[in-house]
Amino acid sequence: MNQSLQTIVPAVLLGALGMWLLLPRPSLRGRMAGGAAAAAALGLIASRLPMIGGMTVQGLFYVIAGVTIVSAAAAVSLRNPVYCAVWFAMTLLGTAGLFLLQGAQFLAVATVVVYAGAILVTFLFVLMLAEPSGRAVYDRLSWEGLLSAVAGVVLIGILTASIGSMMAEEAAAPRSLAPSEAELAAGVLNERHVAALGREMFGPHLIAVQVGGVLLLAALIGAAAIVAGGRPTQPSSSPPASNMKEPSANRTRPITPE
Amino acid sequence: MSMWILLEALIKIFVIIGGLMTAAAYLVLLERRVAAWIQDRRGPNRVGIPLTNIRIFGLGQPIADGVKFIFKEEFIPGHVNRWLYVLAPSAMFVAAIVLFAAVPFGAVDLGIEGWEPIALVVMPGLDVGIVYIFAVGSIAVYGVVLGSWASNNKYAFFGGMRSAAQLISYEIPLGLGILGVVLASGSLRLDEIVQSQAETGVWNVFTQPLGFLVFLVAAFAEAGRLPFDLAETEQELVGGYHTEYSGIKLMMFLVAEYLHMVAASFLIVLLFFGGWHFWGLTGSEPVAGIGVALLRVVVLLAKFMLVVLFFMVARWSWPRFRFDQLMSLAWKVMLPLGLVNLVGLAFWIEYGRPRFSGANEWIVMAIGGWVLLVASWLVTTLLVPAASDNRPRLGPAAADLDTKEAASP
Repeated sequence: MNQSLQTIVPAVLLGALGMWLLLPRPSLRGRMAGGAAAAAALGLIASRLPMIGGMTVQGLFYVIAGVTIVSAAAAVSLRNPVYCAVWFAMTLLGTAGLFLLQGAQFLAVATVVVYAGAILVTFLFVLMLAEPSGRAVYDRLSWEGLLSAVAGVVLIGILTASIGSMMAEEAAAPRSLAPSEAELAAGVLNERHVAALGREMFGPHLIAVQVGGVLLLAALIGAAAIVAGGRPTQPSSSPPASNMKEPSANRTRPITPE
Repeated sequence: MSMWILLEALIKIFVIIGGLMTAAAYLVLLERRVAAWIQDRRGPNRVGIPLTNIRIFGLGQPIADGVKFIFKEEFIPGHVNRWLYVLAPSAMFVAAIVLFAAVPFGAVDLGIEGWEPIALVVMPGLDVGIVYIFAVGSIAVYGVVLGSWASNNKYAFFGGMRSAAQLISYEIPLGLGILGVVLASGSLRLDEIVQSQAETGVWNVFTQPLGFLVFLVAAFAEAGRLPFDLAETEQELVGGYHTEYSGIKLMMFLVAEYLHMVAASFLIVLLFFGGWHFWGLTGSEPVAGIGVALLRVVVLLAKFMLVVLFFMVARWSWPRFRFDQLMSLAWKVMLPLGLVNLVGLAFWIEYGRPRFSGANEWIVMAIGGWVLLVASWLVTTLLVPAASDNRPRLGPAAADLDTKEAASP
């Protein structure tokens, strides 16, 4: 086990403990400790990050990544669902910023359009209508908090282990982790890299795009079917009695009392 | 080198923000004067130089309004959610300003040795220009939704709900209108979209009238201008989502709304009216000398002003939609029309365009576009009833019931 793993393994475990304490539970105790543990874990991991690029780029990366991680933690640990949604929006903006920092312009704006601009707004819409202030028990408890913390540990552990082995290789046989100039020129630094992305998506990956489109269409039809399923599509001759008895204020002509 | 890039970007940002704030203030004055003209009133014409009696056509009014907004008490009502109440106007304001980072005014070659031509846009080389504007524009709905919810007021909440539904619905026709232009120009970059119109001399509005119509209606709805201002209907909802706001936070909401209209006008000019291009006046090279570049900026701003005037006159020309009419206009009329435009254009580019060359290509394309517009207009007007009934459905059609009752006594 090399030196960086010696730091990262305890950091990840500490972070998992912190997140588990932070997740909404019946009691409020341990939240401060959880926050401190998560912050310490973040600092430990940040101390082992390799330097890629200049000071400006690295500083920007730290700021955006920090905002993303902190708002992701807030999104899962707060009790008011509306706050969670707002912090999740912040996470998405941070992710878009990270994409932009890597030169993936289209991915960045697509993240904002699709997730922040459409999906999350719909979430927010429903949350505000359903249970505005998060008083319901099911909103204030996190289901399977321990399991999700463990799953997070496993995921981050695998990722850090693979990055650690890459760094070990790097130390053994020095080569640059950054892509070469030629790779960059053909990829993200290409003047028309959106066109290149489109060619890639609608060339080799055409089937995947088509399948995705069909899946979305099926979901759309399903949603329409669920909405329409509740009431008859044509006015039937014998309507439900409850409908008839309702007083209607909007009728233009007074109904003669029976 | 990177210092200079930073300096250049900072100068552009200062010019854009300063220009936008001034423009927003004085466009409000212009709008009030236009409204007064339409309604046969005088409008705000009194405020001039302070402590004197000199009125300069009311040009002091925006400054007085701004000073009043800024010096008002910073009041937060006791029943609101403080964090979101403060966050909402800031988010909307920032999103409305950041949007202008991708609006191009052309490119200028200053003619100094060793200087690259300067692109008159804050973010030059952004390959996804129009999608970026679309993305930042879609953030604006957060300001409305969060502000209305945080206000803890049912009128504000109604306004927010209406506005959120409206903004999400009209993003789709807006996107379809943009897609038509992107398909015709072959680029997502706004400067290249303008360039392609300048090189051929044929603005997109001539070849894609249907796409223009869809985009125009959707842009009105996204900007929340009058036929579509259901979010803040004064007669029904007091002030809509900003009912509980005052002082500088209210000003941020109002300015952000105004900037949405400004952005919509710029997009209409850039996408459909050739941006800085005008026949026989501005040339069509991508980079111009300083004189021509200035002329191009003037042409762009003149077109922009015409579109803004159209927005202002339209405000007093149509009554407000009912909400169900608004929704059926988006989903049952504008969405199909946008799709018709897109599919027709795709067919033309794949099968029609290779058969023609030179001026014939544009003439046939324009004729096709207008035929498409008239045909789909006729189909829409024949299929959609002129008036719709939003009374509650009572099992058998309410009209049936009424005729039975009329016959029975």
